[in-house]
Amino acid sequence: MAFMRSLRVGFGVALCLSAISCGGGGDDTAGTPTTPPTPTPAVNTATVIVDQGPTVNGSPIGSVNTLFTTVTVCVPGSTTNCQTIDHIQVDTGSYGLRLLAPVLTLTLPVETLSSGGSLAECTQFVDGYSWGSVATADLTIAGETAKSLPVQVIGDPNFTNIPTECSSTGGTQEDTVVTFGANGILGVGPFALDCGDCDTTTNGLYFACATSCTDTTVPDAMQVANPVTLFAADNNGIIIDLPAAAPAGAVTLSGSLIFGIDTQSDNQSGTQTVLTVDGNAELAMTFNGQTLANSFIDSGSNGIYFADSSISTCTTTGLTTFYCPANTLNLGLSITGANGTMANNLVFNVGNAETMLNDNPTFNVFPELAGTLPAGNAGSFDYGLAFFYGKRVAVAVDGDTTSVGTGPYIAF
Amino acid sequence: MQLFRSGEIRIAALSGALLVAALGPRMACATLGEPELTVQNDVAQLRASTKSSEDRVGYRIHEIQLPGGTLLREFVATGGNVFAVAWNGPTKPNLRQVLGKYFDTYASAPRPTLVDRRHMNIQQGDLIVQGGGHMRALSGRAYLASALPSGFNLGDLQ
Repeated sequence: MAFMRSLRVGFGVALCLSAISCGGGGDDTAGTPTTPPTPTPAVNTATVIVDQGPTVNGSPIGSVNTLFTTVTVCVPGSTTNCQTIDHIQVDTGSYGLRLLAPVLTLTLPVETLSSGGSLAECTQFVDGYSWGSVATADLTIAGETAKSLPVQVIGDPNFTNIPTECSSTGGTQEDTVVTFGANGILGVGPFALDCGDCDTTTNGLYFACATSCTDTTVPDAMQVANPVTLFAADNNGIIIDLPAAAPAGAVTLSGSLIFGIDTQSDNQSGTQTVLTVDGNAELAMTFNGQTLANSFIDSGSNGIYFADSSISTCTTTGLTTFYCPANTLNLGLSITGANGTMANNLVFNVGNAETMLNDNPTFNVFPELAGTLPAGNAGSFDYGLAFFYGKRVAVAVDGDTTSVGTGPYIAF
Repeated sequence: MQLFRSGEIRIAALSGALLVAALGPRMACATLGEPELTVQNDVAQLRASTKSSEDRVGYRIHEIQLPGGTLLREFVATGGNVFAVAWNGPTKPNLRQVLGKYFDTYASAPRPTLVDRRHMNIQQGDLIVQGGGHMRALSGRAYLASALPSGFNLGDLQ
């Protein structure tokens, strides 16, 4: 982490120096001062869409409330050995770029540890895990580039021996486009790395593989990293800007993923409410008179998830953890950042999940889809992608400063 | 992992057993559905340390600190077996170890319709496994519905 940051600072200084040397023109006797050339800013906006998801064997997988973008990856240093991949999920609840091997046509170089082992990762999700190598790629999205970015290649066919430590974390093995739900994922949450202390602690995430794979520590610079933090500029966070969706939903919803905060004319903060988040990227939400300390706003959650035993749940198999009230409910919520700033009087709607899915089977956008969390389980409210509908939401990276605060924060 | 490989695992298990023998069941933690005295297996296998034990009415909670930072809590009925486990931290515990004979039931459970990798709510007969969270902060719990002590509040299971 410290390594990457110092690199970035160094780069900034270099830019500055070159600007001074170009722009200082002038001799005092000249009648008209020379205007320094304005550097052309990088195109910092990528298109994002909520749609039916990637196509597998001729059929879309049928995603719900899942935000996608398109990225281009190249073998490091190459401008021709490149691949553009669509339906990469945009996720503020994770960190780093992960690509599904079945759609990857490039051979990316796997990172090698000083011990000589090849680096692999067991990414843990609540309901399963994804296993694959850690390789480097030059990532381009919009006009932004992260060179030699460590990325995970999920389901890498050269790394099929999943260590027991990984599979024993249980749940679904999410190594195919169908089980994963996307062609890849772009983790752009408010931290730089996918592990807080993997440089000093082995905790079942990173593995050194030779004839077999063993739990290992990894230098920060080799860990799978939030790509934004490796951009040359526009690297202090992101903004997701989505239009509102009709209450019943829509087939698609398109908007923007903007890189950088207060770095260009199109990503200025304005008068947003800035809520800092804690070391787990969480903040407090107050719902039904209860303050839920481990709450989060997350573009990677497909619904609005909370515990309320007074709301009926659905009875259809596979949907029993979602809410199915007889009539749409209009509920209140307030959110308090770690900085004490509050966003009060927010309102969200809970529709009948069975009805909304049955009435419009072609829809993929459902702003009123809500599901249960186990009562009392860590006191959490998980406000998913629906939070972003109709909003411009900024996510600032830990330690980085904007005109309205220092990350990690979320602002809207 | 190397720490407990080969001969050392026997030493660790033996020391665990001696510790339990010396201090009694208060220091114990065990696998879901198994007696409290199966302790040393979980703590040794998970390379963990016992953080604390707390008696509640009708049950006891053992807190186990996993080396990667995750806190594992095991709930043991008074005079009975482990009826629940709960975890919270950057990674999940080794659920094959913690769920014991219930792991395969959990691992083979059908996936629900709308998945997003952030939620889990599995009910297979008596076994219930639930979870939530996101990268770097995962929480979950597993319990045997028929084994909950009478009056047990599920809200305490975290």
